[in-house]
Amino acid sequence: MLYNVTIANRDSATFRVNGHRPLLEQLRHQGVDLPYGCEYGGCITCAAKMTGGEVDQRRQVALNNRQIKNGYVILCVARATSDITLEIGVESHDKLYRNPFLDPLQPHELKADIASTKV
Amino acid sequence: MSECCGPGYASPADAINAPCEKLLYTIAIYTGTGIQKPDYLATVDVDPDSPTYSQVIHRLEMPGIGDELHHMGWNACSSCFDDGSMSRKYLLLPGVRSNNIHVVDTATDPRAPRLHKVIDGSEIKAKTDLSGPHTVHCLGSEIIISMLGNAKGEAPGGYLHLNKEFEIQGRWENSMGEIKFGYDFWYQPRHNVMVSSEWAAPNTFMPGFDLEEVGHLKYGRELHFWDFEKREPVESFYLGEDGLLPLEVKFHHDPDSTHGFCGAALSTNVIHWWRDDAGKWQWEKIIDVDNEMHPDWPIPLPGVMSAILISMDDKYLYLNNWLHGDMRQYDISDPHNPKLTGQVFMGGLLGKAPQVNGVEVAGGPQMFQLSLDGKRLYVTTSLFSTWDNQFYPEIRTKGGVMVQIDCDPVKGGMKINEDFIVDFGKEPNGPSRCHEARYPGGDCTSDIWL
Repeated sequence: MLYNVTIANRDSATFRVNGHRPLLEQLRHQGVDLPYGCEYGGCITCAAKMTGGEVDQRRQVALNNRQIKNGYVILCVARATSDITLEIGVESHDKLYRNPFLDPLQPHELKADIASTKV
Repeated sequence: MSECCGPGYASPADAINAPCEKLLYTIAIYTGTGIQKPDYLATVDVDPDSPTYSQVIHRLEMPGIGDELHHMGWNACSSCFDDGSMSRKYLLLPGVRSNNIHVVDTATDPRAPRLHKVIDGSEIKAKTDLSGPHTVHCLGSEIIISMLGNAKGEAPGGYLHLNKEFEIQGRWENSMGEIKFGYDFWYQPRHNVMVSSEWAAPNTFMPGFDLEEVGHLKYGRELHFWDFEKREPVESFYLGEDGLLPLEVKFHHDPDSTHGFCGAALSTNVIHWWRDDAGKWQWEKIIDVDNEMHPDWPIPLPGVMSAILISMDDKYLYLNNWLHGDMRQYDISDPHNPKLTGQVFMGGLLGKAPQVNGVEVAGGPQMFQLSLDGKRLYVTTSLFSTWDNQFYPEIRTKGGVMVQIDCDPVKGGMKINEDFIVDFGKEPNGPSRCHEARYPGGDCTSDIWL
């Protein structure tokens, strides 16, 4: 099963990916220049914003629930489960970084292992 | 005396009398900046008589992108002074995110260091189940590196042991005991003690700083005392609210002293420890930097003391307040009663010094290195890419800067040198961010005496 990945901030360039391998690896193989660091889902360097579609990123441990709600996906471990649209690179990071003193997280917005389940 | 011998100096007093530094190395990162280039080691000309004074004169790019170079360490220091077979030739540059450790030859041509070897990050993970390299110390002729996580980025990690050929020997420690997190360490061999501190798991700190995770005990608040020969922790101090994020640890340079210091970054306190007359380790808080109110912020702003440094004569302690924007100098001649003797602002969020020597400062004072004679303090402004992006987003376009502060080691006092500034916003590949600095001849944060 192959899916289309559209990169909205690269002239809507489209790439074909499978659902078995991480998006970072498959997109880099097709020539997309993407930032990355740890390659195991822990360091957020490769985060992209997904504006449409679905991925399986259960292996990521870097994002808190607010970042996930804002559409961020960790490309080094995320796998496509449908056609998706992404914004990539630091231009997509407008809501990724947040001054923690100015804009605190609510208990349900923390990372999954410590977030309260009550919204 | 010294003609028979290995690297470094016979004593701290000899180090103070060494020739002035003419070159300085600092790492500069593109990781997390949006520029798809490797991080690099920059050589900065710090000789005031040179035509290229205050400029980057060489850049050694790492082989890959995304390392996040951070701290560095020498292959040998004054702990090998009696070993004529050793020399201070190699600087080790770990990549916090990639786990790669780059060994750089700085001796063949000190102005243009060259890559000697890369210890592959995946090999380190496979052989030792460690990741997140941070502090590098040499241990006689061998090397230990604190690693902040296991191969999956979970705390507490451990210590990577390399031999002098930079081959992986496995884990250095025999036990991590009950230690929850790792970060920095320093040892004092005459007292058979090592002290280690706590940041957080790589999976916690690498994506950025969620303040709420401090309350969920995802960040450290303990100091650990080790039996250095047995390589296991023997005593821990719970510092509580006074010691949130205890980061840099430094012993006095005097190898007979048991006094040491730790900067608790979020509490913005200096913790002092020593062994008392009964032979028991004691600790106390000796400096407490008050939070400041920011006109637009709901929460008082802590200083965030991410680094401390002790002058080679053990008389002064230097600290930074990364968010407030000031560097401070304290006289610690009486380590129980420090006296503030100098303070300068450079950047920071309080708006007290937005420009230094005509350059807009994004970020605040962060890492620093002092000359061996205690007169010149070199200060950089970037902390860690993701944390920079949270607190100082404008650093993406402005890059980091290196400032030099003149320090008076006799009467105390600090003043920015108006003839020196290195603007990493003007680097050829775009704005980069500088962090830790070291001198070819050894510095105030590397050498330990046996």
